[in-house]
Amino acid sequence: MIGSSMSAVGRVWRSGRGDVKVYLLSVFSLAVAFVCLASALLVVFNLRAVEARWARAGRISVYLRDGTSNDQVAQLRKALEQTPAVAATRHVTAADARKEMVDDGVAGSLAILPVEAFPASLELSLSDDVTDEQVAAIAQKLRDVPNIESVETYQRWTDRISALVRGGVAASAVLALVVLAAVASVITSTMRFALHRRRIEVEVLKLVGATDRFVRGPFLVEGALQGAVGAAASLALLALLYAIVRGKFDDELGLLLGVHPTFLPWEIMASMVAVGAVLGALSAFAGVRKLSAV
Amino acid sequence: MVRNVSAFRPALRSGQRFDASAAARPILTFESVFKSYRTDQPVLRGTNLVVERGEFVFITGPSGAGKSTLLRLVYCAEQADDGRILFLGRDVARLTEPSIPVLRRNMGVVFQDFRLVPAWSVFDNVAIPLEILGLAARLIRTRVGEVLERVGLAGRGVDKVSGLSGGEQQRVAIARAIVAEPALILADEPTGNLDPQLAIDILGLFEEIHETGTTILFATHDRSLLELRSHRIVVLSEGRAIDVPDGLAVSMDDAGPPVDDFTVPMSRVAV
Repeated sequence: MIGSSMSAVGRVWRSGRGDVKVYLLSVFSLAVAFVCLASALLVVFNLRAVEARWARAGRISVYLRDGTSNDQVAQLRKALEQTPAVAATRHVTAADARKEMVDDGVAGSLAILPVEAFPASLELSLSDDVTDEQVAAIAQKLRDVPNIESVETYQRWTDRISALVRGGVAASAVLALVVLAAVASVITSTMRFALHRRRIEVEVLKLVGATDRFVRGPFLVEGALQGAVGAAASLALLALLYAIVRGKFDDELGLLLGVHPTFLPWEIMASMVAVGAVLGALSAFAGVRKLSAV
Repeated sequence: MVRNVSAFRPALRSGQRFDASAAARPILTFESVFKSYRTDQPVLRGTNLVVERGEFVFITGPSGAGKSTLLRLVYCAEQADDGRILFLGRDVARLTEPSIPVLRRNMGVVFQDFRLVPAWSVFDNVAIPLEILGLAARLIRTRVGEVLERVGLAGRGVDKVSGLSGGEQQRVAIARAIVAEPALILADEPTGNLDPQLAIDILGLFEEIHETGTTILFATHDRSLLELRSHRIVVLSEGRAIDVPDGLAVSMDDAGPPVDDFTVPMSRVAV
């Protein structure tokens, strides 16, 4: 096999070591482009987690009118617990609601409010197999009960988050195209520059009988490496920023979103690096396809 | 030591079977070759030339006579406008694009400006033809070591070529040309950038290589070299190749700086 005597890595190092500074600049540019894409993916990924969390909230908050007696609450709980879709009920008195708010620390200033300012409620846990339609039907029936002030199914939060996720996905797709175009442009330009710098090398290789494939090999590997390293560097940078943000705001984010944010799963990270490598190789090929010009 | 020519296995296409008749053919034949870069200024006008295996041929003529063009046509850096150029009986002008690298592996080319990769070491520059052939790394190390010793650069493999003198760089270029033991060496003004003594040394190196049976086409316009040695001389004049009979070269003017007047009296020339 042609070129089997020297490893591809060895040939890449021999040919490309003179261009290391140029390649580092290229990798930096690629990392900046990729970090935008990775950030968008991180946001979308966590929004999906929030959406999933709230879509599977599996609960309904039933706010009771003021003056509802304990007997009435007990009757209501008994009726609800006999409903197949309801797994369990929990009575949260006005005092309990105030205590939860103050203990969570979400709104310390609310501690000065009287107990009467907080509505009592019944928190319903729903079965896992309950559908959105069943939840809506249960809520509708509950709203007709005289002692019930309002019913919260959290559906509108899910809808809002879903809309946000859809917007995020669309924005990420556009951003991905921009980033991929930027990556292709940077690598193509870099490889053309490298080809120009290494004209003598290419000329010598062709003179002594190298095929175009043999000549292009190191350039393609260098392009792939730039793409992969650029993507990996962007992920490392983003992971660092993520660790800093999470270290400072983890509890707040958890309370706000209902889930603790997580970093991109390894599959997405591996895919990003792979896309960087493939795009790098393709861009490098585009940059050095005209070897006859050398 | 003269190489056993019957053992030579020419192959212009990888995987092609050995053709025994190729060993009996002239190594290089030009048949009515025409080449021009501008229609009103043809460089080669029906050039005919036959080079037998194992010959040492000086190609000479004034600047612009077509010496470099003649060599470039052989290794397919140029295409002839008309005529045939046969390397071991095969018309190189008809080779397909993928076959050209295989053709070049059967030749070594040496240039006036050395054409070395300055960022690479001496070893890397010399080893590249063997890497392209896919030889094992250990074999390459051994072979490159032998060749460097042959050109007087033993132990210099790790040096960067950019730090070598002109004469040493030309030795590296020659080592690269012979490392794969090609059948034919094309030398395009290889002494053009060297002082007279170094030029003679380099010529001596080519002659040592020639003694092993390698065919050499040595293009030069340095008449002092032509007069120094009694090799076959072919003058390119008005687009044609003219063989100079033995003795004519030494009867030319005294050795001195290269001159552009290579007019040869036709009465003394065997065409």
